[in-house]
Amino acid sequence: MTRTLIRRILMMPFLVLGIVTVAFMLSQITRGDPLAALIGERQMGNPTIVAAAKAKWGLDRSLPERYAIYLGNLVQGDMGTSFRTRQPVASDLSRRLPATLELVVAAVLIGGVTGVFLGVLAAKYRDTIVDTVVRLLALTGSSVPMFWLGLLVLFIFSVRLGILPGPGRLDTRTAAPEFVTGFFTIDSLLAGQFAKFREALAHLVLPASVLGWTVTGIVARLVRASMIDVMSQDFVLAARAKGAGAWRVLLNHGLRNALIPTLTILGFTFAYLITGAVLTETIFSWPGIGSYAVDAARSLDYPAIIGVTIVGGFAFLIANLLTDIAYAIVDPRVRTGGA
Amino acid sequence: MTSPIRRTALARLLLATALAASVGGFAGPAAAAEDTPIVVARNMDVNSLDPARGFCDTCQIYLTAVYDTLLTLGDDNKTLVPKLATSWEANDDQTAFTFHIAPNATFADGSPVTSEDVAWTLQRLKNIKGDPSFLMDSLASIETPDDKTVVIHTSEPNSEFLGILAASYTGIINKKLAEANGATAGEDAATADQADTWFFANSAGGGAYELDSYRTGDELRLKANPNYWDKKPAISEVIIKQVEDAVTQAQMLQTGDADIAMQIDPDTAATISDPEIVVDTVPSFNFLYIAVSPGAKGNSVPLTKPVREAIADAIDYEGMIDFTVGGKGKLQPVAIPNGFPGTDDLPMPKQDLDKAKSLLAEAGLSDGFTIEAHYPAVNAYGVDISLMMQKVQQDLSRVNISLNLTPTTFAVWREEVGGDGIPMTAVYYAPDYFGSAQYVQYFSMIPGQPWAKRAGVGKVEDLGNGEKEAELLKKAMASSGDAMVGAYHDIALQMIDDKVIIPLVSPDLVLASRKGIEGVRYSACCNLALGQLSRD
Repeated sequence: MTRTLIRRILMMPFLVLGIVTVAFMLSQITRGDPLAALIGERQMGNPTIVAAAKAKWGLDRSLPERYAIYLGNLVQGDMGTSFRTRQPVASDLSRRLPATLELVVAAVLIGGVTGVFLGVLAAKYRDTIVDTVVRLLALTGSSVPMFWLGLLVLFIFSVRLGILPGPGRLDTRTAAPEFVTGFFTIDSLLAGQFAKFREALAHLVLPASVLGWTVTGIVARLVRASMIDVMSQDFVLAARAKGAGAWRVLLNHGLRNALIPTLTILGFTFAYLITGAVLTETIFSWPGIGSYAVDAARSLDYPAIIGVTIVGGFAFLIANLLTDIAYAIVDPRVRTGGA
Repeated sequence: MTSPIRRTALARLLLATALAASVGGFAGPAAAAEDTPIVVARNMDVNSLDPARGFCDTCQIYLTAVYDTLLTLGDDNKTLVPKLATSWEANDDQTAFTFHIAPNATFADGSPVTSEDVAWTLQRLKNIKGDPSFLMDSLASIETPDDKTVVIHTSEPNSEFLGILAASYTGIINKKLAEANGATAGEDAATADQADTWFFANSAGGGAYELDSYRTGDELRLKANPNYWDKKPAISEVIIKQVEDAVTQAQMLQTGDADIAMQIDPDTAATISDPEIVVDTVPSFNFLYIAVSPGAKGNSVPLTKPVREAIADAIDYEGMIDFTVGGKGKLQPVAIPNGFPGTDDLPMPKQDLDKAKSLLAEAGLSDGFTIEAHYPAVNAYGVDISLMMQKVQQDLSRVNISLNLTPTTFAVWREEVGGDGIPMTAVYYAPDYFGSAQYVQYFSMIPGQPWAKRAGVGKVEDLGNGEKEAELLKKAMASSGDAMVGAYHDIALQMIDDKVIIPLVSPDLVLASRKGIEGVRYSACCNLALGQLSRD
C-alpha cells in the first residue's frame, strides 16, 4: 500500500503537466475573442488599441511561444495575470480557494454525516415509512435546483425569521479578519475575535446546508443500497448466528463495508465541489473558486481558466490519494494487499 | 515533528474555540452605530481601478467618489457645474478651453492640485490607450501658464469637450504619487505604464473618498478623505458589496445587510412590500437595440433600405416594453438617449404591419425570408436579451420573416461581429458622459465608425446617410447652444432613417434604498455620487 501511495505521489507532477497542457490547448482552440475581456466593445475596431492590448498581454505571440512562456512562468509559481481581474491568477486563487474550501468542507461534513445517518436508518427500517421519508429527502436533495433552494432558505431563515444571516462570509459591514489561512472561522479565532468567529460560523450555516443537502441525497441513497446489499451477505448471517445484536451487526459489519463506496463518492464530491459550487456561491455571494471559474469562462480569460483547471485537477488528484488512504484505514484487505 | 509556532497556533485556536463557544450563540448584524457604513449591493464589473483603464458602471461610481474632475453634472443631469475648476472658458470655434483650478483644492495626501497634475492626467488618459482613451481622441496639446490655470487645445472643434471633462474617467490624479508607483503619461504609456496593479490597492485622488481595500469578486471599501477640500462627505465608510443576483440584492435590503441596490429589475422590485425600503423608478439613459447589418456574410437576402424599414415597422415597441420590463421603460426613437442634445420632438417608433408587408411585397419578399440573429445571452439593465429577441422573433413572424435565434457569449459575439458580421444582433449601451457626439461616433453610418463598419458601409452601396451625418456632426462640434442642439436633432433624423440601429427599449432604473438614506440619485456622468449620500 505504501509503495502504491508513493508511486501515486511521484506521478502527480506528470499528471499536473498533462492537465496544464490539455487546459492550455483547449482554451486556445475555443471560439471567441479573448480581447473581449481586455478591451471594451467600443474599442474593438480601434487598431491602435487592439495592437497595444495584444502586445501587453502577449496575444501577438505564436501558440508554442505562449505555451513555453506559460510553462516557464508556472514552474516559478507564476500563473499569469487574469485578463478580467488584472491581478495575478495565483493571488486571485489564493484568496478564493480558502473561501471555497471552508464552504465545501462544511458542506461535505454536514452532507456526509446526515447522509450516512439517514442511509443507515433507511436500511435498518427498509420498506417502512422511515425508509420512504429518507428516500424522499434523498431524491429532493439530488433533484431540487440549488439556486431555487438557496433563495428559498435565504427568504425563510434570513428575511422572514431573521434567525440566520444573509449572503456573504461575514456581515456586510464587518471587515475580514487578518489573513492567515483564509478560513474566516479559523483566522478570526487566531486573532481572538470571537464575535467575528460566531458571525463567520453563522454565515456558513445556510450555504453549507444547501450545498450539503445534495451530498446528503447522494450519500444516503448509496449507504442504503450498499447496506442492504451487505446485510444479505453470509458473514452478516454468521455474525447474527453468533448472537451479535442488531445495531452492532448493522454498524460494525454493515456500515463498515458500506462505507467503502461512500468514501469514494465523498472524495470525488469534495473535489467536484471545489470548482462546482458555483450556484451556491452566486446566490450566497460567496467569493470562491466556482464563481471565479464561471466568470473566467464567460470572458475567455485564459490564464484564469487554466489556473482554475489546475486547482480542480489537483483537487481530484488529492481526493483520489486521500480516498486510497481512507480505504486502507477502513478495509484491511487494501492495507495488506489482500483480495 | 510539530513546530513550536504551529503548536502555539493550534493551542490558540483550541482555546479560542472554547472561549467563543462559551460566549453565546450566533449574533445577528451588529447594532447600528451613529456612523454606520453605507452598503451598496451590486454586481461589480470592475476591470480596473485606474481612471485611465477602468471602464464600467461600478468604475464610474468609484472614480467619481475618489477622483475629482474639473467639471461635473448638476442634479438636472444636463448642466455642467464647477468641481476642481471654479471657472472656464471656450473659444468661439471650440478648440481651446481654459480652466481655473480652485486655489484650495488638494489631494488626499494634502498636496495641492496643480495644472501640471491636470495636464499629466489627461495626457496619460490619451496615451495609455485604454478603454476610456477615446475621450481624449481630439486632445492636441495642453498649456499650463501657471499652477492654477490649464489651457487645453483640441485638434478639431469639439463642443462636447466640456461634457467629456465631467466624465468620471477624466478624474485628476496626483501625478507625483502615481509616478512614484509606476505610472507614466508619455507617448509610450500603453506599454511603459506599470501602475495598474498599484491602483487596485491604492488611490491617488483628491475626491471625497479614498480606496480602503478591494477584494476582487467580494467587496470594495472606501473611507472618507479626511483632507477633502470641498464639502466633506457625511458617511465615513462606504462598502460596495459584490451581489450578482437581483433577488439576493432585494433580500439584503430587507434584512438591512445592504442600504442601496441599483440593479433590481422591475419584476423583483414589485415584490418588495417592506415599508422600510424606498423604491424609486426613474428613466435611465441606458437602452437596448437590435442592429441589422446588410454587409454581413450570413444574409440570405439583401437587407436593402425597404427591407430594414419593414423590420423596424414590424416590431411592437409598446408590447416590447411590457414584455421585457413589465411596462417600466420608455420608447426611444434613435440610438441617442432620451433627453440628450437633439432628441426632443423626434418621431416615436410604432408598429405598422400593413406598411411592413407592403414594403416586403415591393422588395419581392412577400413570402418572407430567414435571417440569422446572434446575440450575447446576458441580462442588461434588467432586460434578458434572449427573452427580448424571442419577442422580436414573434413580431417578425407576423410579416413572414423567420428569425433564427442563436444566443452566445460576449467573447464569441465579439469575434463574429468584428469578423464576418452578424445579419441581426442585439446589444445594449450606457452613456460615458452627457453628450450626443459619443453616440453619433458609434452608431451613425459615417464611414469608419464602429457600427458603420459592422453594418457594411463601404462594402454595400447606398447604406445609410453617412455623408450627411458627417457633415452635420462637424457642424454640431463647431457650434454651441441651440445651433448645436439643432444639428444633433438633424443627425438623429438621419440615424433613424438609416434603419440599421433600431432601439427597442430604454429600461427605467430602479433605485432601491433603506428608508433614511438620502442622496441616492442617478447621474449620467457618474452613475451614483457616493459623496452626496447621508443618513437621516
